[in-house]
Amino acid sequence: MVERVEAFVGEYAAGKSEVAINRALALRQQGKQVTLVDLDLVEPTFTLRPLKHQLEGQGLNVIAWETAQTFGLGEAGMQLHPQARSAMLRTGHLVCDVGYGVFGSEVLNLVEGALACPHLGVYLVVNTTRPMTSSVDLILEEAKLFNPLHGLLNNTHLGAETTVELVQRGAQIVQVAANELNLPVIATPALAEIAQQMDGYDVCGNPVWPLRRYLQTAFW
Amino acid sequence: MTNVIEAEQRSFMTGNEVVAWAALAAGAEFMYGYPITPQNEIMHYWTRLAPKFKRGFLQTEDELSAGFATLGGVMAGRKSFCATAGPGNVLMQEPISMAEMMRIPAVWFIQQRGGPSTATVIYSQQETRLTCLGGNGEGNRLVYSTASHQEVFDYAIKAFNNAWNYRFPTFVLGDGYQAKMREAVTLYDPAQRGIELHGTSRMLGRSSKQLDGQQVRHYRNTFNIEEELYETLMQHIADWDHMAEEVVEWAWEGDEEPDLLLVAHGVVSRAVYAAYEHLKSAGYNVAYFRPITLRPFPVAALQRAAGRCRQLLVAESAYGQLLSLVRDSLYGKTCAPIEGLLRPGLGITEELVVEWAQRLLARVG
Repeated sequence: MVERVEAFVGEYAAGKSEVAINRALALRQQGKQVTLVDLDLVEPTFTLRPLKHQLEGQGLNVIAWETAQTFGLGEAGMQLHPQARSAMLRTGHLVCDVGYGVFGSEVLNLVEGALACPHLGVYLVVNTTRPMTSSVDLILEEAKLFNPLHGLLNNTHLGAETTVELVQRGAQIVQVAANELNLPVIATPALAEIAQQMDGYDVCGNPVWPLRRYLQTAFW
Repeated sequence: MTNVIEAEQRSFMTGNEVVAWAALAAGAEFMYGYPITPQNEIMHYWTRLAPKFKRGFLQTEDELSAGFATLGGVMAGRKSFCATAGPGNVLMQEPISMAEMMRIPAVWFIQQRGGPSTATVIYSQQETRLTCLGGNGEGNRLVYSTASHQEVFDYAIKAFNNAWNYRFPTFVLGDGYQAKMREAVTLYDPAQRGIELHGTSRMLGRSSKQLDGQQVRHYRNTFNIEEELYETLMQHIADWDHMAEEVVEWAWEGDEEPDLLLVAHGVVSRAVYAAYEHLKSAGYNVAYFRPITLRPFPVAALQRAAGRCRQLLVAESAYGQLLSLVRDSLYGKTCAPIEGLLRPGLGITEELVVEWAQRLLARVG
């Protein structure tokens, strides 16, 4: 059975897939068995599909559609990869990339046993440069959509225009929101070149996760 | 009306969200729509934002009624807009034709997807011809083809103003890549940039007091006799020609006598511009042309850019829709061969354009 489940949830375009991929690879580098699950039911073929083979080549098990498997499906609405259903029967760590949508973290229901895992972490990914999560109040509003929720991630960035100051401003906003929610800030993921300038921790003392951008190359 | 954007802010967004925010900033009061990928998040974000800013939304039973309801909203005096894609765009040609005939100034956001029919859900440039010339009229429309999120925001505001200024249906033509991709954009309050928003007024149902001396207007989309239609239409065409001179936009860069002129519109123009810069830095004699308004098409500007070029390469994610606009514009003006890099429904990268361009450049070298 899977020992630990980490699920990344949040607003549309908050950076969930990028964070999930990087987290899965970081755990793999620590020598763990890792399965990355695409739980995006709204756009099930657009995030991990183009990267599946590349990520498998880097040692991850990836549950996501392959291009050839999606031939013939058309615009058939929600498509859950059947392997996701029994993903808890695998060993090691499960990292779930939960797509946006009205069901919030409830989508985890579809992975049988995931919500009952004693080591479950559902983390809200927040980018404070996005208008819908740009203030403490708005983050609190967003967080209401997700239950259970175990922590927040400060994923504040502006793509290629990201600066250390911007990430740190985001860290402060996310920390205040986390305090209000009585939840921890798990980390501040930041592009590797930004992370290098931050000595391992953000201004609030939370760990910095260095990120590499993968989705930039995911050309549909 | 509540101020939508208090202070200019740099935000990381998807194109669909930018459309929703731009419509709010442009003073749009009502969106009518019917869901279709890849424009859905325009509706998702508009419906999340509308209550906060006291704006309205109605989901109709299909695209035909969404299009007509948009026109109804405008006639009732509300700044209304609509968004759709693919087969939804096909269905909306009927209300859009009525807007042309009755000079109803509504704004449409089109996020092109693959065609024909339902085809694919994300990306294509196959609605170029339909958006410019669809319907059973003369194409009396204004069509902006955007290439970045900043342009989506800027041209959305411009589209609302020009629609109400010239009273022709006006389009912001994007595509699924622009709808879904993420990049930084500056949101701003148009007033703070000195942009005055065009007001609206009721077209129907005004009391004699509200008319305030203005003549009662008779809005019609049906005529008894051909001569009457001809007279009305020729006035519309004259108005459209006048508008065309004032609104036509393009981008052009590079040598005036290039060995190769690269032409593209919309998101493909980004790949083509990157290829142009790559080729220029490699010492090639090249130029780049991008129509920003597809209707009116920048005919005179393209003729100037192509007048002394040795050959042209038109790149598009369609099978000759931009190419035919280019050929029409250049008929009789150049002997240069016009090649097409035509990939209906598929993306076009900088690398691909460079590869094609180098092959053509070797031919004239």
